[in-house]
Amino acid sequence: MSARILIIEDEALVAMELRFVLEDLGYEVVGSAADARTARNLVKENEVDLALVDIHLSDGPTGIELGRTLAHEDGVTVLYMTANPGMVRDGVAGTIGVLSKPTEERAVFKAVDYALRRRKGEPVEYAPPELQLFA
Amino acid sequence: MTLSSTTDRHPEGWTEAERVAALRAYGVLHTAPEVEFDDVVALAARICDAPTALISLVDSDTQWFMARVGLEACETSRDVSFCDHAMRESGVMVVPDATLDPRFADNALVTGDLGIRFYAGAPLVSAEGLPLGALCIIDYRPRPEGLTDLQTRALTVLARQVISQLELRKALSKAVLAAEERHQVDTDLAETAAALHESEARFRAIADSMPQMVWSTLPDGFHDYYNARWYEFTGVAEGSTDGEGWNAIFHPEDQARAWGAWERSLATGDLYEIEYRLRRADGVYRWTLGRAEPIRNEAGEIVRWFGTCTDIDDLKRVEQNKDLLSQELSHRIKNIFAVVSALVGLSARQYPEARAFAAAFRDRIGALARAHEFVRPHSEVSRPTVGGMTLHAFLDALFRPYADESGAARVIVSGDDALFDDQAATSVALLFHELATNAAKYGALSAPGGNVELTTALAGDRFVLTWTEGGGPPVSGAPERSGFGSSLATVSVEGQLGGRLERLWRPSGLRVVADLPASALSRRRAAGNVRSPT
Repeated sequence: MSARILIIEDEALVAMELRFVLEDLGYEVVGSAADARTARNLVKENEVDLALVDIHLSDGPTGIELGRTLAHEDGVTVLYMTANPGMVRDGVAGTIGVLSKPTEERAVFKAVDYALRRRKGEPVEYAPPELQLFA
Repeated sequence: MTLSSTTDRHPEGWTEAERVAALRAYGVLHTAPEVEFDDVVALAARICDAPTALISLVDSDTQWFMARVGLEACETSRDVSFCDHAMRESGVMVVPDATLDPRFADNALVTGDLGIRFYAGAPLVSAEGLPLGALCIIDYRPRPEGLTDLQTRALTVLARQVISQLELRKALSKAVLAAEERHQVDTDLAETAAALHESEARFRAIADSMPQMVWSTLPDGFHDYYNARWYEFTGVAEGSTDGEGWNAIFHPEDQARAWGAWERSLATGDLYEIEYRLRRADGVYRWTLGRAEPIRNEAGEIVRWFGTCTDIDDLKRVEQNKDLLSQELSHRIKNIFAVVSALVGLSARQYPEARAFAAAFRDRIGALARAHEFVRPHSEVSRPTVGGMTLHAFLDALFRPYADESGAARVIVSGDDALFDDQAATSVALLFHELATNAAKYGALSAPGGNVELTTALAGDRFVLTWTEGGGPPVSGAPERSGFGSSLATVSVEGQLGGRLERLWRPSGLRVVADLPASALSRRRAAGNVRSPT
């Protein structure tokens, strides 16, 4: 069964493109949310393994807190994807790390693969260089 | 008679200079006649039955008659003075017949028209023992019998009286002088006080009309003056912020910091300068610039501090808005790159044959976006997570995807770092993106174990970047056809950056040298420097 991924991104074009990339890679995209409430609702109604979370959403810079909540309360593996990685400079406990937008397909693939391995508890030696890991 | 020098000491212990000074100290020389002295000479003349009686004071070159009866002249030269001799005697000097006295036989007053024959003079000696002159009587016929006892005694007593009167006058004039001095001092004091008062009034007028708040403290920091503006702004009661009360008007978060800065200035005498929030009468805190300087006396000690408070709240707000705007802008730019990149990807899905093209295109956009992350202006949240805002930091980020599996870099960057601005960002990004992509496709990065050394060097007014590949597939010479990628790098370096690009197809690996003017990477700043000479 392929991993179920939630895209949390307020730029529709970016979300659409990302969905295609993930589906091409064989993942199942559960849905796409532009704000925190929609994201939480989607998580309640669906099983979600991994969430790719942008920081600036349509309801403001709510992505950081959303990511933390998804990780702590909903058991979702969280990867931030943002043009402003400085906003999570100090890391967010419980989440994996941050990718800088614009992303390339290869970087997305490697990061998602790494995150899912960590979720499954599989040993991973090296993290992809494009992914800034949180401690 | 020869005059003795002014500094020879007489047997009695005085010098001529001291004697003359003592005489002059009485302040009676050449003054108007006084009845007390006129009475004395009149009486002396009667008692001694003489036509002429004088009180003579012997100055340095003349003798002057303070009182006289029976003589026209009021002074003569000293060298014909009988009194000059008499004053040095211990008692009354009597000359019975001047023509028979070797001291006076040739004296002009004797031989001339006046015809002095008889002289008797009692010395006038000051309380300190300095001879001043004589009280004398003169006759024009010789008196071999001299003076009677009574006459001699009378002259002596009268001479003593003259001295008494002179001493009295000296004491009196001293007292008068002292009183005059005291009066002058009082007048001066009153004038100074008035001047000070006026000066203070003027200061207050200026201080109260200034748009800034003005305050002043004693050397120990005790605030004892605030101008009208301070009371208007803060709304506090007059005098309520004297001493150390000022600190309570500051924002609670700024109080400790301001207190610390003030204490440091008090201790060192250094300029006091600090930004803090001050509470206005309506309770609103406004950003304020506090500044104070010490005033020193001639010895260099601080005698007072003068300070001002200037409202800078509007300025601070503008600064904060600028920061917010910068952040906004930076975020928007990055977002645009992300959207464009997504659009390219989406568009490519409709044209499968363009997939490779789209991937290459998105790669280049990614490089541009990365480069712009390292260009100012940035706020704390919009800047890249790690490292500085420099060329090397950008290169490290750009080449990170080419790291090997262990995370070790395969493009090793070293040398002089540099800042680059938005004008150069595109060119820098495209140049290195091309070099890396080509190396990954055909060169050192296409084979495991291959790597690149990238050195950057500032040499005088040139900045030189040297890209050297090694450990890759052997190079057999320059390619037949230069790909679009090569000429894009050329256009960037030679067109946009105004430098020279050279490719050396060494057998061990490609070497590329980009030789730029040092200002090429920060042209905006270089232009700014030219426009504003310092």
